[in-house]
Amino acid sequence: MRFFFPDSQDQVDPTFDFVTEEHDPFRVRQRDDLYAHEVLTGAPFDGLLVSKAIVDGQVGSSAGKYTVAQRHRLYREGARRFFRLDHGNTPLKIMGDCGAFSYVSEVEPPYTVNEVIDFYHGCGFDYGISVDHVIFQYDPAASSDEAEQKGWAKRQRITLELAEKFRDRCDARGVTFTPYGVAQGWSPESYAAAVEKLQDFGYRHIALGGMVPLKSRDILACLAAVKPVLKDGMEVHLLGVSRCDDVPRFTEGGVTSFDSTSPFRQAFKDDRDNFYTPSRTYVALRVPQVDGNAKLKARIRSGEIGQGKAIELERKALDQLRRFDKDDTDVEAVVEALREYSDLWDGKSDRSSQYRETLTDRPWRDCSCDLCRKHGIEIAIFRGSERNKRRGFHNLYVFEQQVRARQARKDPA
Amino acid sequence: MTETSERDTGRVNELRLPALKIDQGRGRSLFTFAVDGKLVPEIATVSRIRRDRNTELHGYQRPEVLSHVAAIRRYIETDASPLLPNAIVIAFDERVRFESAPGDVPEAPGYVRAGTLVIPLIDGPEHERPGFIVDGQQRCAAIRDARVDRFPVSVNAFITSETSDQRSQFILVNSTKALPKGLIHELLPGASGALPTPLRVRQLPATLLERLNFDSLRSPLHRMIQTPTNPGGYIKDNSMLRMLENSLSDGALYRYRNDNGLPRTGEMLSLLYNFWAAVQEVFPDAWNKPSRKSRLMHGAGIISMGYLMDAISHVRDNGQELVSTEEFVADLKTVAEDCHWTEGEWTFLDGAVRKWNDIQNTPRDIQRVADLLQNRYRVPQLR
Ligand SMILES: [Zn+2]
Repeated sequence: MRFFFPDSQDQVDPTFDFVTEEHDPFRVRQRDDLYAHEVLTGAPFDGLLVSKAIVDGQVGSSAGKYTVAQRHRLYREGARRFFRLDHGNTPLKIMGDCGAFSYVSEVEPPYTVNEVIDFYHGCGFDYGISVDHVIFQYDPAASSDEAEQKGWAKRQRITLELAEKFRDRCDARGVTFTPYGVAQGWSPESYAAAVEKLQDFGYRHIALGGMVPLKSRDILACLAAVKPVLKDGMEVHLLGVSRCDDVPRFTEGGVTSFDSTSPFRQAFKDDRDNFYTPSRTYVALRVPQVDGNAKLKARIRSGEIGQGKAIELERKALDQLRRFDKDDTDVEAVVEALREYSDLWDGKSDRSSQYRETLTDRPWRDCSCDLCRKHGIEIAIFRGSERNKRRGFHNLYVFEQQVRARQARKDPA
Repeated sequence: MTETSERDTGRVNELRLPALKIDQGRGRSLFTFAVDGKLVPEIATVSRIRRDRNTELHGYQRPEVLSHVAAIRRYIETDASPLLPNAIVIAFDERVRFESAPGDVPEAPGYVRAGTLVIPLIDGPEHERPGFIVDGQQRCAAIRDARVDRFPVSVNAFITSETSDQRSQFILVNSTKALPKGLIHELLPGASGALPTPLRVRQLPATLLERLNFDSLRSPLHRMIQTPTNPGGYIKDNSMLRMLENSLSDGALYRYRNDNGLPRTGEMLSLLYNFWAAVQEVFPDAWNKPSRKSRLMHGAGIISMGYLMDAISHVRDNGQELVSTEEFVADLKTVAEDCHWTEGEWTFLDGAVRKWNDIQNTPRDIQRVADLLQNRYRVPQLR
């Protein structure tokens, strides 16, 4: 089972100073910053999934994750050099897709097959996924009339037509990347039918799309319908998995690779599961920056809260956390400092008991990843992107180890 | 100097500071003195703007801008000889008094007197301090936080009991206009030390721009960039800076950044001279004209040409010699037919068609022109 991490320019700045919270002013973004596969010994994934929508910006506007200068450099240097795939300890692969979610509300995909091939081929990708159109709904009971009425069948037809054209153009242009055909559907049967068609077009690699919003049991039902029609030796990629617990069962369903941002994003998007360990997850210790919390900032600007008070409580919380990591104070003192500050910036949820668990177990001390070893408790603090992204990288590391371990148990050979 | 004295009651401490009293007219006096910045929080507080329950306005200061505070603090801590020449401005209430030094000083002009400013030290909540900081709150916060033992500053103070008076002074000190950007950029290459971080980062591109503009012997862009001292140039300084910054971060100039030493500006300039000489040679009709007659001299032209310089350098660079003007010329010619700087129309990759003079200096149009040129240059190499 291979794991791809969707790129969204997520990097950390090695010059960031955790005490003064300053960056080296002369650092150049992306070039001096490091990817997860560069900061961790052993990449926590097998490759990156890079989508055209993120690189080129949303359709009809120039506001992408990439600056224009970065985008031009990616095209110029190619993906291997731009993402420094050989710079880490494990060589990585690059898979490209169109980022179909960014144009889900359009009637038709905004990219031509040739443009997309230019993107994959021009940047030197290893794998390229055909142009697709997401079907957002899932309804196994829908009749074919309903599927037609609601436009799902049309989206599937568009996706298949583009996949056929994509396959032909790839052959004609003699591309160096491996093409993947996308199957879209709204039910197990419709996915199976799409997969059969793609095999008829000559695809040996298939990606299953539109699975992000699906529950695990629905994904498994689709895989159960797809598996019997799969020819021998087919590679199947699952696009966007939001719940990772069932990854081993996906393998049994014939999946050979998948991608997910979940372990990374949970570090700073989830309410509870911010810090992964092999046995459970923990909540991260929230100390937002006085300057970085919009609500708190507005209340200070209005004069409702004293800025001096806020700064004092923020510093006290950080100070307590750092002293705790040096065994210089106890759990309760830290919990108290966190609560006092949180009364000011949050005032609603009291996470004291969850914080107590995180602090008592100190999971970062048991982790052997480079980041936990280097940064200690800082990695468990929910605050600003430098800490949050490092915690996300740590989660990727733990997640990858888990996937490997479970697979090893399943497959002793 | 900054000693405190017990008065006969024994309860009130005072700070007694040597000061000058300057009479500015119509009964208004200014007091100027020096005090350790670390002591300022004990004699003056910041009057934060807020409204009470009856929505009546109090105070006048905004919150500290923490990033400014951090930048000043970093400067005080790390510079070899830090200097904060601007005085802090404090409004004192009538508890502060001035005691003239005994005796006349014959040479002194009539409007200034030496003496001692006596400031009571109040051991109570912040708002009972005798002073309010009218100007310099970021500097005071930076000194407060800085890891230095002391940092004396110069203070200008006045005495008033009226908040309205303090407010007017606050508005007056803060309403002076910021320097125009172009002037700052033109001064940057010749400035040293004591600059805020964002300006230090801009120093290198500004230096390159200065050479491009004023090297009469080598620069093909001699006197073509519009700056305060060269108002006749047709190329906006901002467009040129953008082009340089793009190349420094993601393009051909990046490799001469020389992380641990000084940037290799010599190589950077040679490359820029070679490239722009080639542009002049390939597009003579569009060269050195106002942007209403030539879109090459416009933001869209300059910035997208910069990307092309990066692309050609990437392909041509053999790691040893700089790409020559001849090489740039040869490659520019491959895209020349797609360029319509002075007449005709552009056909962009997204299908849009624009008359030459409909190209605007907007991110969208710059991207369109840049993408087209990049694509036309790249595609023959792909196939
Ligand atoms: Zn870790």
